[in-house]
Amino acid sequence: MKTSKTIDHIKKIRTVSEEVKAKRKEFNTIKRTLLKALESGPKSIPQLAEEVELPIDVITFNIMTLRKYGDVETGEIDDSDEYFSYQLKQKK
Amino acid sequence: MSDQTNNYDVLVVGGGIAGEETALNLANIGYKIIMVEKDLSIGGKMIHLSKVFPTLDCSACITTPKVSETARHPNISIFTNSEVGEIEKISENNFTAILTQKPRYVTEDCTGCQLCEEACPVSVEDQFQYELVGRKAAYIPFSIANPRIAAIDIENCILCGLCEKVCPADCIDFTQEAIKTKINIKSVVMATGYQIFDPTIITRYGFGKFKNVVTAMQMERQLVPTRPFNAVLRPKDGKMPDNIAYVLCTGSRDDTVGNPICSQVCCMYSTKQAQLLMGALPMADVTIYYIHVRAFGKGFCEFYNQTVGMGVEYIKGKIGKIDEAENGDLIVRYEDIESGKVKEAKHDLVVLATGILANRDYQSMFKNIVLEPDKFNYVKQVNDLSSPSKTSIGGVFVAGTASGPMDIPDSILSAGAASAETASYLRRAYNEK
Repeated sequence: MKTSKTIDHIKKIRTVSEEVKAKRKEFNTIKRTLLKALESGPKSIPQLAEEVELPIDVITFNIMTLRKYGDVETGEIDDSDEYFSYQLKQKK
Repeated sequence: MSDQTNNYDVLVVGGGIAGEETALNLANIGYKIIMVEKDLSIGGKMIHLSKVFPTLDCSACITTPKVSETARHPNISIFTNSEVGEIEKISENNFTAILTQKPRYVTEDCTGCQLCEEACPVSVEDQFQYELVGRKAAYIPFSIANPRIAAIDIENCILCGLCEKVCPADCIDFTQEAIKTKINIKSVVMATGYQIFDPTIITRYGFGKFKNVVTAMQMERQLVPTRPFNAVLRPKDGKMPDNIAYVLCTGSRDDTVGNPICSQVCCMYSTKQAQLLMGALPMADVTIYYIHVRAFGKGFCEFYNQTVGMGVEYIKGKIGKIDEAENGDLIVRYEDIESGKVKEAKHDLVVLATGILANRDYQSMFKNIVLEPDKFNYVKQVNDLSSPSKTSIGGVFVAGTASGPMDIPDSILSAGAASAETASYLRRAYNEK
């Protein structure tokens, strides 16, 4: 592991914008909300939209993002072959 | 042949398929090439495609060997995340330029382990998945990127330093700064590619407002193995679509958006996607709204006929407006050109076959001389019948879609022509000495 940190160097010459800070906070809040909603079991995106107060397209975007990041995995598709369910990924 | 640092025979601007082909052709006959790519990886747009038409060969399987060969070639020096400017013609076979290497904040020792990506707490829209999904601020651009080295998106970085803490190879380096280097070259090949039409300009199509209206590149990403979703799904609610519409000529052959010419690829890539969708979603209906279907290349007409035979419906119709129903379905209002009547149809996903526009970046790259544009803002071919790669500047050549819309095989052919013209230019000077 490195002893000197180059992050200290850039911190002296750059500041983080309020917009970037807000975006990070927003993602954290959405992530927490969605992961909490999935704690009770697999859910489809419309089912999540009924449970959490987020626009459905925001849920889709973030479920797909959490799937990419390895927090969520794809479950079964429903009987009408329309919506997949998503569930928390079991951490090994 | 030039071999000293900062001295090269040919500057190739752009690392897409045309740039790679040009660089390889010239490097293989001994010329020293400097390739400058503004993106984090070479591979251009082709590396992001699913399959190519009309053969349905895997796009990545064709392009990645070429990408690797370019990256490993001893006569090619590649600078990604870099720009070139102030290109100056001193005399024939004598150009200078300023190369700017932008900081990546990750050194070349990066192993691509992605631990920095895992640790990064920031999530922003992934430009390589055309904003369908997020990515981290510390990230590998995409899985088959070359170089497969992480980068820090400093504009969105919160400077938490976690990436640096977890990097096992000590590769994160926030002290990096832009490096400007003067280079000497004997000739230049512009392989700067094209830009994709931004459909938000046509507000009546609702792109940006209605999430189930997507671009063809977004659909293309949904059809590749490294897709953003687990299947082909609607971006609004994750529903698997079963009635998909294509709107051809979105931003092409349309004077109202400033692009009166045909993009040459949209009819066939839409036809290709329709076939792929029928494979991915066997129960889905696919409708293609067109003005004219231009299936002009080798095997294109047969490919179109095959697609019609598979059940894809082609409707000769002009789209007036797209509206969204409450459930996210889309109401497409169109003029049925055959009957002359205005009709409406409901689809659950609409794909806009967005056209190709000139990439005008080349216009600001020259210092003491102007690289002339044609009337559509592509690099002007001064003699497009007999010397298609010659430009308004002697010693500067053009390859691929920098000169106009064309498909992948034509881009590669064009790169072949550009490399032959460049070699001839360089050789002539050598012979005259």
